[in-house]
Amino acid sequence: MTNEEILKNITVFIHDVLEAPDLNVTPETSAADVDEWDSMTHIQLISAIEKSYKIRFALGELQTLKNVGDMVNLIQKKLNN
Amino acid sequence: MLFNSYTFIFCFLPVALIGYFTLNHFNKITLGKWWLALASLYFYSYWSVKNLPLFLISLTVNYFIGHYLHMGIRKKQTLFRLGLVFNIGILCFFKYSGLVGLAQFALPLGLSFYTLQQVGFLIDSYEGLAEEKSFIDYAVFVSFFPQLISGPIVHYQHLMPQILKNDNKHFRVDQFSVGLFVFSIGLVKKVLISEAFSSWAKPGFDEAMTLDLLAAWKTSLSYTFQLYFDFSGYTDMAIGLGHMFNVKLQQNFNSPFRSKSVIEFWTRWHMTLSQFISTYIFTPIVRAMPKINFRNTMIATFIAMFIAGVWHGAGWTFVVYGALHGLALVVNHLRKKKKKKFPGWVSWLLTFNFVNVTFVIFRAKDMSDAIKVLRGMIGLDGVVVPKIGISSVGFLKDYGFEVGSYLYPNDYLMIAMFVAVFWSIHKAKNSIELEKEFKPSVKLACACGAAFVLCIFGMNRITEFIYFNF
Repeated sequence: MTNEEILKNITVFIHDVLEAPDLNVTPETSAADVDEWDSMTHIQLISAIEKSYKIRFALGELQTLKNVGDMVNLIQKKLNN
Repeated sequence: MLFNSYTFIFCFLPVALIGYFTLNHFNKITLGKWWLALASLYFYSYWSVKNLPLFLISLTVNYFIGHYLHMGIRKKQTLFRLGLVFNIGILCFFKYSGLVGLAQFALPLGLSFYTLQQVGFLIDSYEGLAEEKSFIDYAVFVSFFPQLISGPIVHYQHLMPQILKNDNKHFRVDQFSVGLFVFSIGLVKKVLISEAFSSWAKPGFDEAMTLDLLAAWKTSLSYTFQLYFDFSGYTDMAIGLGHMFNVKLQQNFNSPFRSKSVIEFWTRWHMTLSQFISTYIFTPIVRAMPKINFRNTMIATFIAMFIAGVWHGAGWTFVVYGALHGLALVVNHLRKKKKKKFPGWVSWLLTFNFVNVTFVIFRAKDMSDAIKVLRGMIGLDGVVVPKIGISSVGFLKDYGFEVGSYLYPNDYLMIAMFVAVFWSIHKAKNSIELEKEFKPSVKLACACGAAFVLCIFGMNRITEFIYFNF
C-alpha cells in the first residue's frame, strides 16, 4: 500500500471521527490546526485506524506523532513489519 | 541546588560546562558522559545528600528492568508489572503514607518527576520501543540536571540521541547564546516577577483570618501569577541550560492563560505532564474499556485528570482540584460535541476564572483555608474600598461598604504589575516564540545583561520553586 493510499484512507476516518467532512487533510495537518481534534477524538481515530489495518500502536509511538504525515509513515512501518 | 543561586550560576554551571566540553574535545566521550552524570548527582545532593540513595536505587533498578525487558526474557510481563509496582509503590509510599495512618516521610526531591520519566521508559521498553543502552547513557538520561527535579518530563528517544550526536559534542556559541537568552528570561520570571506576586499572595493565604472582596482577589490572582511565573520561569531556565549542552528540551508552557477552554488550557499548561498522562494513563484506560464511545472516553478523561490532580500530593485540596478539572473537561467535551460555543471573550473569562479559582484550592493548606479565600472572592466577608487620591469616598459607607486606608506605593506597583501581566497574556510573545526569533545583537545583549544583573542583585533572598514540593 502506498503512502498516498494510506493518506486517502485515513482522511475518511478523520472526516468521520471529527465530524468535519470538508476538512482538507494533508500530511502537514496536525491536531493543533483543527479545533475538533482533541485527546478524545484522537483516541477514537487511533482505535479506528488500528481496527481497520489490524495493527496496534505502542503508547510511546502515539506521543511521537506530530502530524498526519507521521501517522501515515507509522502505519506504513507497521504494515511492513 | 537552585538555578537562581550564586553557587549555581557562578560555580557549578561553568565548571560543569567546561569539564564536559573539554573531555569531549579530547575525544573522551564516555568520560564526558560520566562527568555530566556525576555533576548532576552533585547538583542533586548539594542541599541534602540523604535523597541520593533512593535516587540511585531507583535509577539502577529501572536500568536493569529495562535491560531484561529488552533481552526479551520469558516472564517479560511479570517483570514489567514488578517494575511498575516498584516505581508506583515508592511514589505512593512517600506521597500517601500519611493518609493511611503511617508516618509521613518528607518527599525526596524530584521523586515525582524522575519516577514518571522512568515509568515512561519501562513502558517503552516493554513495548519494544527502547533500544539496548549502556548504563551510563541511561544514567545521563535520568539525571541530566536541567530537567532532573521539575521537568520538563523527557523521553529517552527525545533526549539521548541529541546528547549522543557527534555534532553536539562540542561547545557551540550559537547554542550557548540562545541558552543564555532563554535562561535570562526564566531568571527574570522567577526572581523579579514571581517573587513579587508571592509577597502579595502569601499574607492572604497564610496570615489573614478573613479577606474582604478586593483582598481576596488580590490574593488569588497573585498566586495564579506567582505559580505561572515560578514554574514557567523554572522551565525556561531548564530549556536554556539544555541549549548550553546542545540539547533541545521539550516545551512545557505555551501561553496557558490565553486559553479559551479547559481542554485548551491543558494543552498549554505543564504540557509534558499532560502528554504523559494522556499517553500512559488516559489511553490505556480507554483501551481497557469494552467499547470506545463518548461515555467511556469521558469516564477515562475524568479518571486521568483526577490522577493528575492527586499526583501533586495527598491532601483533600488536590483531590478537589483534580476532580474539578476532570469535571470541567467532561463539561467542555459535552458542549463541544453539541457544538455549543460562547463568544471568544466569554470563553476566555470563564476559563481564566475557573483556573484561578482552582488554583486557590491548589495553593491552600487545607479546604478551610481555600474556603476562606473563596468566600472573600464573592464578597461574603465584606468589601473595603481604599481611599484613592485626595477625594473622599466616605459616601460609600451609606451603601454598606467599608472605607480603608490610602493606597501605598507597593499597592500601585501591584496594580501596575497586574495590568502589565494581563496585557502580556494577550499581546506579548512567550519565551519559546522569542527563542525561535532569537538573533544575537548588541541591543539584545545589553537588555539581557541588564536584566541578568538586576536578577543577580535580587537573588539575595533565595527561594525554592513551588514544584520542588511535588
